[in-house]
Formats: sequence, structure tokens, C-alpha cells
Amino acid sequence: MSTYLQGILILAGINLIAVLGLSLLTGFTGSFCFGQAGFLAVGAYVSTLITMKFNMPFPISLVTGMMAAGLISILLGYPTLKLKGDYFAIATLGFSEAIRLVIENLDKITGGARGIPSIPTRTTLPLVILIAFIATVCIRFYVISKHGRNSIAVREDETAAQSIGINTFRYKQISFFINCLLAGLAGGLLAHYVGFIQPAMFGIIKSTELIVMVIFGGMHSVTGAALAAVILTALPEILRAAAAWRLVAYGAVVVFIMVVRPEGLLGSWELSWTSLRILWASLKPSLPQKR
Amino acid sequence: MILQQIINGISIGAVYALIAVGYSLVYSVLNFSNFAQGEILMIGAYIGFFALTLLNLPFSIAIAIAMIGAGIVAILLEKIGYRPLRLRSSPLLYFMISAMGLSIFLQNFTIVTIGPNFRTYPPDVIDTKPFSIGGVYIGRLDLMIFAITVISLMLLTWFIYQTKQGTAIRAASYNMRVASLMGINPDWIVSIVFFLAGATAGVGGMLFGMKYTVYPWMGILTIKAFIAAVVGGLGSLPGAVAGAFILGITETFVAAYVSSAFRDLFSFALMILIIVIRPGGLMGVVTQEKA
Amino acid sequence: MENAILNITNLSKYFGGVKAVDDFSLSLTEGSIQAIIGPNGAGKTTIFNLITGLYKPTTGEIFFHNHKIDSIDTFRIAEMGIARTFQNIRLFPELSVLDNVRTACHSKANYSILEGLIPTRRRIQQEKQLTEYAMGLLRLVKLDNRADDYASNLSYGHRRRLEIARAMAIEPQLLLLDEPAAGMNPDETQKLMEFIAEIREKFNLTILLIEHHMEVVMGLAYYITVIDFGKTIANGTPDEIQSNPVVIAAYLGVGE
Repeated sequence: MSTYLQGILILAGINLIAVLGLSLLTGFTGSFCFGQAGFLAVGAYVSTLITMKFNMPFPISLVTGMMAAGLISILLGYPTLKLKGDYFAIATLGFSEAIRLVIENLDKITGGARGIPSIPTRTTLPLVILIAFIATVCIRFYVISKHGRNSIAVREDETAAQSIGINTFRYKQISFFINCLLAGLAGGLLAHYVGFIQPAMFGIIKSTELIVMVIFGGMHSVTGAALAAVILTALPEILRAAAAWRLVAYGAVVVFIMVVRPEGLLGSWELSWTSLRILWASLKPSLPQKR
Repeated sequence: MILQQIINGISIGAVYALIAVGYSLVYSVLNFSNFAQGEILMIGAYIGFFALTLLNLPFSIAIAIAMIGAGIVAILLEKIGYRPLRLRSSPLLYFMISAMGLSIFLQNFTIVTIGPNFRTYPPDVIDTKPFSIGGVYIGRLDLMIFAITVISLMLLTWFIYQTKQGTAIRAASYNMRVASLMGINPDWIVSIVFFLAGATAGVGGMLFGMKYTVYPWMGILTIKAFIAAVVGGLGSLPGAVAGAFILGITETFVAAYVSSAFRDLFSFALMILIIVIRPGGLMGVVTQEKA
Repeated sequence: MENAILNITNLSKYFGGVKAVDDFSLSLTEGSIQAIIGPNGAGKTTIFNLITGLYKPTTGEIFFHNHKIDSIDTFRIAEMGIARTFQNIRLFPELSVLDNVRTACHSKANYSILEGLIPTRRRIQQEKQLTEYAMGLLRLVKLDNRADDYASNLSYGHRRRLEIARAMAIEPQLLLLDEPAAGMNPDETQKLMEFIAEIREKFNLTILLIEHHMEVVMGLAYYITVIDFGKTIANGTPDEIQSNPVVIAAYLGVGE
């Protein structure tokens, strides 16, 4: 496999991991997170510093990065998730802007706007595929569990959910925490793949790309989110020439989806043995049946 | 020196006030945050810019065109991105996503068509000789910004409190359903509200462009508008104005006496502080969902 | 009062200048069915919202089993044993009929978040028990054959039944029904009345009812409280209320 193709797959896998969290938080639990890139930045920078300044092995750096992002979610989520969704959305957007400012200004530690170069490359394609696969399976299990159902109830009707005993605040916190763990993980993997990190990599464009992936495929479908992540990572590479118009198209398509089909392109369809069998059965109607 | 900073603060506070009041107006009637408000501001700034540079119109006409143009764009955005959702009683989340989509579309469309360069308003639009009051120099531009803001807000206040349409808007902000039962056409009210919000944002954009520069991602100011509105109390118009001036003055002081990078960090911290201590803002509005 | 499962004293809720509820008091005997009636906008649903913690009272207190509940979170009040239905039926439209009930079956499964991500045998077992319990409730309201349908696809009457089933799933002692017979024809109303009496008996419930259908109120309630403009204007047994001139005036208007 060419390194170019490998690179696309690794990036797709990293985006997939970040999008899974967003799918759970925004898609299934209904809390609009506008600033996902900020949490990737936390994971990226913390894991990089652990690897380079403390010479820790890769797994430890990754986990520390995840924990850092998770901690942020607890601090940020506590005041904002108790209120209407607007507050949380702006708070996450504000946070992602604020964290970039912090990174740019702590340049003794973070290299400022120029960033940190020469990060040891530890992320490999098999590793990313493995993590992406495990994460997808776990989130899928979560969504069909009672906790997943409760999260969906929070999204559907918070008042009704509270009235049947669901602690809606707690479930939003949990989804936010899981989201940030995954975002931190993705950030760490990204840093140790690209080999350098800069605040500019974690701006609004990145946050936008990730949330668009969720909207395209994964508001109600975990595998849809995963597929959208892969497709929308590969597509821009193929459509290099139209790069500038890509975001214009994204904006228009997002509005179109909200107005026409908010569940996204796949709705609630999930990849599973049952759905594959149904798909297979519908694709071969004309073949003679075995007797 | 201090007085100069206060003047600067009032100046930027005035721009914030224009955006924040439109934001709160839409919020009070529709119960959602129009994140695309920033892009309407940007469009107003560009319309004003081209009216002055391409069409060589006098300042007063240019600002009128910017105001009306932005107001019309706002109405269009509502019709395309929000009305279908409102008619379908879509959840708040979909509105926020649609707002994001509109925002991304407008921002990037501007980048692709008009170009990403920063534009400066022609410096000789108004006589820039500073006034001198008691030995203190006040820039003519700042004075003009303040004056135009005050006039705009007074016009808005007159409209909302003294006209029939304004009363209808206030009725709708308490209870849209009941207001419509009283014979008020909700679609019409919403259009007027968006026009007003767009017009004030358009004026704000042009003023901001005159004092600073015009660029496609000016819309990020929408965060400041939200912070100002939250400080004052989301949904309260006087609150939005008060919050805006408080924000403008305090952050100018932070920029002057700490560092300009800290300014945005401070604003974000201020928002989190308000959310934690008094989420209803100065005016103490309700922040929870109700049955 | 002894045996009072719910005690409301001098409850008021003001929204700015509007007195939605004004000095409301009520004592609900365990095992009884009581009704709150009154013209539209009289404040009845606000009382339900106050009991379930969606609103905090301006003044007054609410006691459940002698426990003060007026400053407790809504979900905790549900945990304590108070369930409710809504005037305009609030189901979870994107969930299946079965899932709507399953979201309320907390007592049947308590596995952790971690087990949500990585299934254990315990989770699988608990999910099975939970599903059986939920199906049992669906059978009770005769919706078991629609278990996998989206809740949004049900007819109005079926959605009402589903909402009641979901409320029952939290194993409440007190059930608050907000206009359960709204939009029903006489036949459905009759069936609903029988159903309410049946579940009260079977599950040992106490029921507080808001209703406009007078046959339902008169047929089921042991005791009725009438409110108008947030104030209590009368209370008594069905017979007493039926012949009370103040009540008749409130409903029909005086001297028009």
C-alpha cells in the first residue's frame, strides 16, 4: 500500500475516532458541541509533551492526553450543561478559541504559534484501525444499552426524560466526558502521526469538518458517523482542485440536510449482521432460490 | 491613559451592543441563538465597504444601504434555514446546526468570491480631526460610532415600545402561540424581528469595519455578542446593551493593561463566571427549559 | 392528615405579575383517586409541574410521604415514586414503542456506564429482565404487538396508552394524569376509566387526575378540587361539586 493511501486511511481513522464521540454527544444525546477541535488540541499537546519532555512510552502519553481532555470536559460541562443548549454550544466554541490563545501564549512550553516540531512518529495504520474499530464497537454497544437509550431520551425530550427518573444532567456529562476522551485520543494519535502540531491545526475549520461528518452520517447512526468520517476525509483528497469550495458546499449541504432530512444520509440505519443480510437480500431479488 | 481606554471600550462596546441586541431580540421571540448573526454583520460591513469604494456613495447613504441590505439578508436566511424548521417544530438542536451551516456557507462563499483579504475602509470618509474636550482627545470616529449606535438603539426602542408591530413582537416574545391566536401572524413577526436584528448587525458591521478592518471571518464576533447578551441576560434587550458596554470596557482594559491576547481569554472567562454565578445575567432571566 | 401520601399546603406560583397558582392546598389519601378540575388556564398543569419539580414554588410546601419535595430535582421525585403523564403527550418519537417504556425501567437494570461500553453477562441478563418487564407493561395497555414501531407512528389514542405504560414503568406510588381522556370518544373514555380503576387496584396506586371529561371525573374521583384563576373555589365529593353554584358559575360564566 502506498504511503499516500496509508496516510489517508490513518487520517480517516483519526477523524473517525473524533467523530464517534461527537456522534454520541451531539447526535445521540443532543448537546451541540461546536468546538471539538479544542479537545483534540488538548489531547495533542498534552500527549506530545508527555512523550517529548518526559520521555514516556506512547500508550502513557495517549492516555494522559485523553485524561486531560476528559478533565476539561468535567470542568467545562459542569456549569454549562445545566442550562439550555445554546450556552453549551457557545461555551465549547469559546473554549476552543480560548485554548488556542493559551497555547499560542505559553510559547515556552508549547512553541507558541509555530508549534512543536519533530514529534516521534508512533501512530501506525494497524494501530489506528484497531483503535477505531474498538471505539466504534464500544460506542455502538453503548448506544443500544440502557445508558444509550437514556441519552436518546434526553435528546428527544428532556422534560419527559426527567419525569421518568432519568438524570439528564448526568447523562449529558457522561456523553461529554466520553466525547472528550475520544477527542483527546484522536488528538494524541494525530500529533504522533503528522510529527508536528500547531494551534492553527485545531481551529474552527477542523471543528466544522468534524461536526459536518456527524451531520452527514451520524446523528442517529454510529456506523453512519464512521462511514461519513472516512468518506469526507478521502473525498477532499480526491477533489483537491475544488478545495476552496468544499466548505461552501458543506455549509449549503448542512442547511439542506436540516431542512430536508435531519437524521442524516443514513438515518437510523446501522451496520450490523441483520442489516447486512437485509441489504444482501434486497440486492439479489432475481437470483433463483436454492431448492 | 485611562480615559482613552474607556473611550475605546465604549466604542467597541457600542458595536457589540448592536450585534447583541439583535441576538437577544431573535432569542426572545424564537428562543434560539442565531449563530449566523455574525455573518450578517460581515455582510453589512462588506456592503458598506463596496457602497463607499465601488459606488462612491456618501457615508450616510452607504450606511443606510448596509443596514437595509443586511436586514434583507437576515430575512432570507430565516426563510431558507429556519422557517422550515419552525414550521415543523424541530428541536433546538436542528436550529443551531442550521445556523452553523448558514454561517459556514456565508463565510466561505465570501472567501471564495470576494476573496480572503482584509479590507480597510477609506480613511477619508469622515473628517478624522479629533475633538478636544477638557484636554482629552476623542476621535471623531469613536464619537460617531457611539452616536450612530445610540440613535439606532433609540429607533429600535421606539419601534418596539411605541408601534403596533413592536407591541406584537413583545407579545410574541412572551408566548408566540397565544400571540398568534390573537391574530398576530407569526411568520410576519419573525420576518420583522430578523430584519431588525439584521439591520442593527449591518450597522454594527459597517462601524466595526470603519474602526478596524473588514474580513470574511468577522463573524467570530458573534461569540462576543453572545457573551454580552449572557452577561446582560439572554433575551433581554436592555440587558444586551448593558452587557455589551460592560464587556467592551472591561476587555479593552484587559487588552491595554495585561495583553491583547488575554482580551479574548478574559471574555471567555467572564462568560463562564457569569454562567456559574448568575446564569440569568444582570436582568436575571430564566435559563431552564420549562414543561 | 394521617395516611396522606401527598400534602400540599398554601402553594403559590407567581410568574412575574401573573398568579398561576394561588394558595392551593390539597391532602391526598393513599389509595384514593382525586381530581383537580377547572376551566382552561386555571393553573392545573402548573400544579402538576410544581409537584414534579419542574417549577419551584413561590410560596408553600409539598410533602410526599411526609418528605418535603418542593426543592428536589424532577428526576429524584420520579425516583421517589411520583409519575406523571402530560397534557400534550410527551413521548420519545425517534425511539420504538418498546424503547419508550424501557427508558423508564430503572429498577430492572443497574449496570454501569463501563458495562454500557463493554457488555458483560450481567448486562445481558439485566437487559433481558428489563425487556420482559417492559413487554409486560405493553401487554397491559395492549400495545405489545406494536413494540418495534416508532412511537411517532402510533395513533393518538395509542400514544396516550403508551405514555401511561411508560409512567407505570417507574413503579410509582402516585400517578399524576394530565387530561388522560383528552380527544377520546365516549367508548374510548369508558375503556380508559375502567383501565384507570383497574391499575389503581392492581398496582395499589394513588391517582391525582386533571380532567375535563366530567363522566371520568364523576365516575372515578372520590374527592374533587375545583380551581379557577389559580385559586381553589370549591372542594368536595362528586355529588357536592355537581350541585355547587360557584362551580357552575365558573364553568358556565355568570349572567351572560
